Amino acid sequence: MDLLTERIRTGVAIIAFAAMLCLPGATVQAGGKVLLLATTTSTDNTGLLDYLAPRFTGDTGIELRWTAVGTGKALKLGQNCDVDVLLVHAPAAEKKYVAAGYGVDRRRVMYNDFVIIGPGRDPAGIKGRSVAEALPAIRRAGAVFVSRGDNSGTHKKELSLWSGAGADIPDKEPWYIQTGQGMLATINIAAERRGYTLTDRGTYIKYSANHGGNPPLQILVEGDSCLRNQYSVMLVNPERCPGVKSALARAFADWLVSPRAQKLIADFRLMGKQLFVPNAR
Amino acid sequence: MDFISQGILEAFRLLLSGDSQTYSAVAATVKVSSMSMAVSLAIGIPAGFVLGYTDFPGKKQVRVTVDTMLALPTVFIGLLVYAFVSSRGPLGDLGLLFTLKGIAIGQTILALPIVTALCASAVEQMDRQLRVTLISLGADRLRLLKTSLWEVRHGILAAGLTAYGRVMTEVGISMMVGGNIKWQTRTVTTAIALETSKGQFAMGFALGLVLIMIALTVNVSVSFLRRK
Amino acid sequence: MPLYQADNLSHDYNHKPVLQIGQMEIPAGSITGLIGPNGSGKSTLLRLLAFVEEPRRGEIRFDGHPARPFDPRVRQVTLLPQTPYLLKRSVFQNVAYGLVIRGRRMDLQSRVWEALEMVGLAPGEFAARRWDQLSGGEAQRVALAARLALRPRVLLLDEPISSVDAASAQLIKEASLQARKQWDTTLVIASHDWLWLNEVCDDIRHLFRGHLLGSGPVTLVFGPWKPAGDGGVEKILPDGQRLKAAGRPDDPETAVAVLDPHQLTLSSRASLVSPDLSRLEGTLIQIGIEKNSDRLVATVVAGNIRFAVNIGPEDRPGLDSVVPGATVWLGYDPRQVKWY
Repeated sequence: MDLLTERIRTGVAIIAFAAMLCLPGATVQAGGKVLLLATTTSTDNTGLLDYLAPRFTGDTGIELRWTAVGTGKALKLGQNCDVDVLLVHAPAAEKKYVAAGYGVDRRRVMYNDFVIIGPGRDPAGIKGRSVAEALPAIRRAGAVFVSRGDNSGTHKKELSLWSGAGADIPDKEPWYIQTGQGMLATINIAAERRGYTLTDRGTYIKYSANHGGNPPLQILVEGDSCLRNQYSVMLVNPERCPGVKSALARAFADWLVSPRAQKLIADFRLMGKQLFVPNAR
Repeated sequence: MDFISQGILEAFRLLLSGDSQTYSAVAATVKVSSMSMAVSLAIGIPAGFVLGYTDFPGKKQVRVTVDTMLALPTVFIGLLVYAFVSSRGPLGDLGLLFTLKGIAIGQTILALPIVTALCASAVEQMDRQLRVTLISLGADRLRLLKTSLWEVRHGILAAGLTAYGRVMTEVGISMMVGGNIKWQTRTVTTAIALETSKGQFAMGFALGLVLIMIALTVNVSVSFLRRK
Repeated sequence: MPLYQADNLSHDYNHKPVLQIGQMEIPAGSITGLIGPNGSGKSTLLRLLAFVEEPRRGEIRFDGHPARPFDPRVRQVTLLPQTPYLLKRSVFQNVAYGLVIRGRRMDLQSRVWEALEMVGLAPGEFAARRWDQLSGGEAQRVALAARLALRPRVLLLDEPISSVDAASAQLIKEASLQARKQWDTTLVIASHDWLWLNEVCDDIRHLFRGHLLGSGPVTLVFGPWKPAGDGGVEKILPDGQRLKAAGRPDDPETAVAVLDPHQLTLSSRASLVSPDLSRLEGTLIQIGIEKNSDRLVATVVAGNIRFAVNIGPEDRPGLDSVVPGATVWLGYDPRQVKWY
């Protein structure tokens, strides 16, 4: 009597647990030709890779999987032979990386650009000026500037802009806020502190769309040649990492710089706006 | 805060429309947490029982170690596991990086101390007369173990649920070891992190609700056991 | 052959000795009482006799064979602990547990029913109850029923009625005796209820600080003790009388003297006390006949201490006129006092 129901209940619980274990995952199979890419959050967050990946698979039969991380971590994953190919945007670091023998066959793919955004009343008066003028103006005014502070590509770009403008990195200044967070979180913090920040245009378009086209922060500095954000594709060095799929990686790099992929990149739209400019040589 | 109401609607839409990305993430979450929980329970319950029931030299030190491991940050565990399963790590040849199994290893490191410590506490609080009663009613050693475990089932259940809650909601290990690869290792929590970083707050909120619904399902089925 | 034979038994917890017994036998089918203050080792002795724990040293022979916990033979022995533990299941499952693990399923229900009826719990009403829907007395009776369902050969009861209501106590007493009557179960009962033990037991053992003090109600006299002129020690009783004892206890502050009732004499006048003995004046509280013998047992209060005296037939004539309330004289030999 009671013993029987006890057994039945225990049995049901065990079966339910076992069933959970066996639950099939929704996985996409592509005949075993799988390429692993480490890339930056910007290419993933904008949807560019979701747009390119199925077309790449259609053209080559290679399944593309990617892990979207900060540029620093993406480079580290390649250095540790954990991925096959890299799509990143930190040219200075990339050059050192290739020189150190971690990456090979680095090729330009496309660029987007950075913009400096800030509150509409613009306390440092930087609207329409060049980067070399704007950053010292912010420093002089002691206006709040919010930095990613996370060693990402955007952060590295910002640091190079400060040195390019002939200024020290304002690491310990009270008006210089380092968030250690992603781009969108950083923009939101800048908005709340009514400060300036450097962002890639794609994230800003999304941010703007989130606010129905009327965001609290506006583009104040843009178009300066030093604001260009160059993306490059690079193979993980197969001599250092015998396990990587260098043939598949090369196929992906070749495809990215091919006229077809370059056209696809040019046609990619976010909120109706072009985000990336292809510039493969 | 309109993304909250949008998120609630979105959560139902995702579940009811059978959104394949959502279900892929749910399946990954359920699979990986089940794997890690199965291993954690299989090792942690006997270990907790031994720790709570028996005396052996060095028991205090083991207990302190286990209790300290309760405070391991998930990102730290993620880094630790990454160091081992990375291609250049000692276990690199097993190909565990960017796989659910790799995540499960990390989550086991997270859950095992919880299961062990809480089971040990439950067993320690077990009535001392239980052993006397069972032996004097004629139980042999195996029966003694089985019935004792059954008597502290509520404590063990609580240990399992606590560990399950931690495992299901952690994001540090899944991100670091799993890489948040779409269709493969994207769990509900890494999907939430991704959607949030994309500014899709409503979507992130919706996925959070989905996670809560999984937890609810688990807890309801467990309370079915607890009622006894 | 006795059912239990124990030899040089000793046991300790965390290196603190709790039991030290030279020789002990318990005959089959008997009822043995255990008395002694809290912490005297009664529960420990019962756990050893139940083969729930193994003695640190020494051996217990059961039915002529050395026995240890988990031996198949000792499954016929069962113990009702002082605070019984009920499994977190229904009353039915609690009572059936011992039978179920023995694989006895055929007459399971009738055996459970029978056991519940023995302890005065209506099976129809109680079988389906949960463990946590019982009063203290009911829980104790369910625990007893779980033992009775096994029809045990030995039933060890540790303070079975110390914390239950009067009605439950009565039912527990009756059920234990019925077990002995129906199945010839050997009973060992630890209890503070001296009257009950005296009424039902064939033999009563006194335990003190882990030592067996022989049969019957010994008298314990607690320290402090002061040195006396003759090389021994003495205790000054509240009424000014002196109780003398030979020897030097290790710690005179806490030492306890034990007086064997068989070594004490009772006289109606001081002059009748043997000149070899020391005397104490006291009041007779009660006097009765010892079970299964022709001896008398008496209780005398002298200086606030209750002395138990066992009187043989040869000494009875001088006491014919003595009734409770009378002033009497105790005779004792200070050299016969034992120390613990």
